[in-house]
Amino acid sequence: MSVKQISVAQDVHFAIEAHYRTEVRLWQTGQYREWLKEMVAEDIHYWMPIYEQRFIRDRRPDPTPHDAAIYNDDYGELKQRVERLYSGTVWMEDPPSKIRYMVSNVEAFDAGDGEFDVYSNVVVYRNRRQLEMTVHTLGREDKLRRVGDDFQVFRRKLNIDARVTQDKNLYFFC
Amino acid sequence: MTEDAHLVDNVESSQSREIFWDKDVYNLELERVFGRSWLFLGHESLLPKPGDFITTYMAEDKVILSHQQDGSFRAFINSCTHRGNQICHADSGNAKAFVCNYHGWVYGQDGRLVDVPLETRCYHGQLDKAKLGAKHVRVETYKGFIFGCGDADAPSLEEYLGEFRWYLDTIWEGAGGGLELLGPPMKSILACNWKVPTENFVGDGYHVGWTHAGALGQIGGELAGLAGNRADMPFEELGFQFTTRHGHGFGVINNAAAAIHVKRDGWAKYLADTRAEVGRKFGPEREELYVGHWNCSIFPSCSFLYGTNTFKVWHPRGPHEIEVWTYTMVPRDADAATKSMIQREATRSFGTAGTLESDDGENMSSATHVNRGNITRDGRMDSSMGVGFEGPHPVYPGIVGSSFIGETSHRGFYRFWKEMLDAPDWAAVKANDDNWDSVFTNRDYWADKIEAAE
Repeated sequence: MSVKQISVAQDVHFAIEAHYRTEVRLWQTGQYREWLKEMVAEDIHYWMPIYEQRFIRDRRPDPTPHDAAIYNDDYGELKQRVERLYSGTVWMEDPPSKIRYMVSNVEAFDAGDGEFDVYSNVVVYRNRRQLEMTVHTLGREDKLRRVGDDFQVFRRKLNIDARVTQDKNLYFFC
Repeated sequence: MTEDAHLVDNVESSQSREIFWDKDVYNLELERVFGRSWLFLGHESLLPKPGDFITTYMAEDKVILSHQQDGSFRAFINSCTHRGNQICHADSGNAKAFVCNYHGWVYGQDGRLVDVPLETRCYHGQLDKAKLGAKHVRVETYKGFIFGCGDADAPSLEEYLGEFRWYLDTIWEGAGGGLELLGPPMKSILACNWKVPTENFVGDGYHVGWTHAGALGQIGGELAGLAGNRADMPFEELGFQFTTRHGHGFGVINNAAAAIHVKRDGWAKYLADTRAEVGRKFGPEREELYVGHWNCSIFPSCSFLYGTNTFKVWHPRGPHEIEVWTYTMVPRDADAATKSMIQREATRSFGTAGTLESDDGENMSSATHVNRGNITRDGRMDSSMGVGFEGPHPVYPGIVGSSFIGETSHRGFYRFWKEMLDAPDWAAVKANDDNWDSVFTNRDYWADKIEAAE
């Protein structure tokens, strides 16, 4: 990204950070249907590509949505993931695990037409059962759209830092 | 073969819980199972050009698989012969040579030591570079799938796959194009013994309806009826289980190849367009297998789901942990859009964040870690489902179980695992070639069943 992009005004920046805080609260309290309905646009592309560890001299291009990805979801696919959690038969989540998010380094830029490019860092802590604790760090690249007095995300790219996931799965929203 | 039935009892169809926990068992596995078996290294499609390489594991050994200028593949231990440093730290790439970070020793694409910094001045012409190449392992390929083996006395890869090739050819060759793998692999750590997922893939159709109830209910399709085990279906007419000489095996659910894929138009059309040619080449039984869904493991630690098309390697990291690598299998001659959609659907179900993958992880880790308990570990596990409802078949090679929900291929996996642990060398294994399947005692099961049906 360019450093010459137009930063948003302070009130918009505050509103975007507040939006992210609400998003985290919905996830931490298991309100996934509400999150999807209110905060995700129906034209969402929700994407977590796989980055190999390659030599700096390696000229192969970065991954595209046509390549292998951990998430590569449209709205219907995200909805399927959400609904699975309400099925009452996800034994791994019963008793439920705990998840805690830290979102920081929010940088927001005005992309025109009521759209915003927003970069942030996310730390995810998951606690399961008695002793299992895992940590994931991600860089997040969003495109948000102003909808009424709030925002909806319509592009989300999640850059997970670990090459080898040190967890059973990455089935959480972020 | 010893008669000690402690670790695996082929008569009672049970295993000691020590097999998932004990360090001594694991060390013996490294030597006698992983050290002597053909282990999956990669597929030609992952390193298509001369100079292309990938780094992987053979059990806990780090290995470089390298595409040679003559088109062949070589594999060598990823460790410098000078002071042992890891030679290459990239996942994949294209390299004229591999240079060790420590002192700069240079290895060629074939693993030979080709250059040593300051050689003349510091080694005074006394260094025999020809003797200091990276340590090689055997490499052989079958239908594009590349395997490595650390045992000079092991049979060829074709012999090792043995009569299982009768089944593999159905999909690895198919109508002619065969399969390829799409990477890069997803990688994740799972705190379980490597045999837990291997046995799950080789022969656990039983868990599908219960473990995956939530996901199957959302996906719908052919397998939705299994969700919560509510299905009222005649399991014996829906598929089979198979086990073969060297422990390779699978279960098949008939007519369910693409069942887990929600967006399946391209894949379903590909199967419909090619099945007749498969039938012409391989006969009606294999045409039926071609459009079924397979849960499969190739002994010891490589598994796949054909139809869903996820492809897994379970790299062991001690007795209680594995590194899971997940690729996608696609038909080589499918169009790009079909390949891409198969990859997306395979990943959505069995990738690191997959809707079904996420159901399995805890079962695998808890089945391992409960055995920390001393009283617990002094006990056994049961895999007797379907004993007697299996036997040699007039058409299908190996031993055939009557239903995809059974533990025939599970028992067959542990039968061979025990044989490998007991055998001092491959000659001792080969000595059992004619009577390996005698533990499956109902020799007339299929003859009787077929006669009764006629």
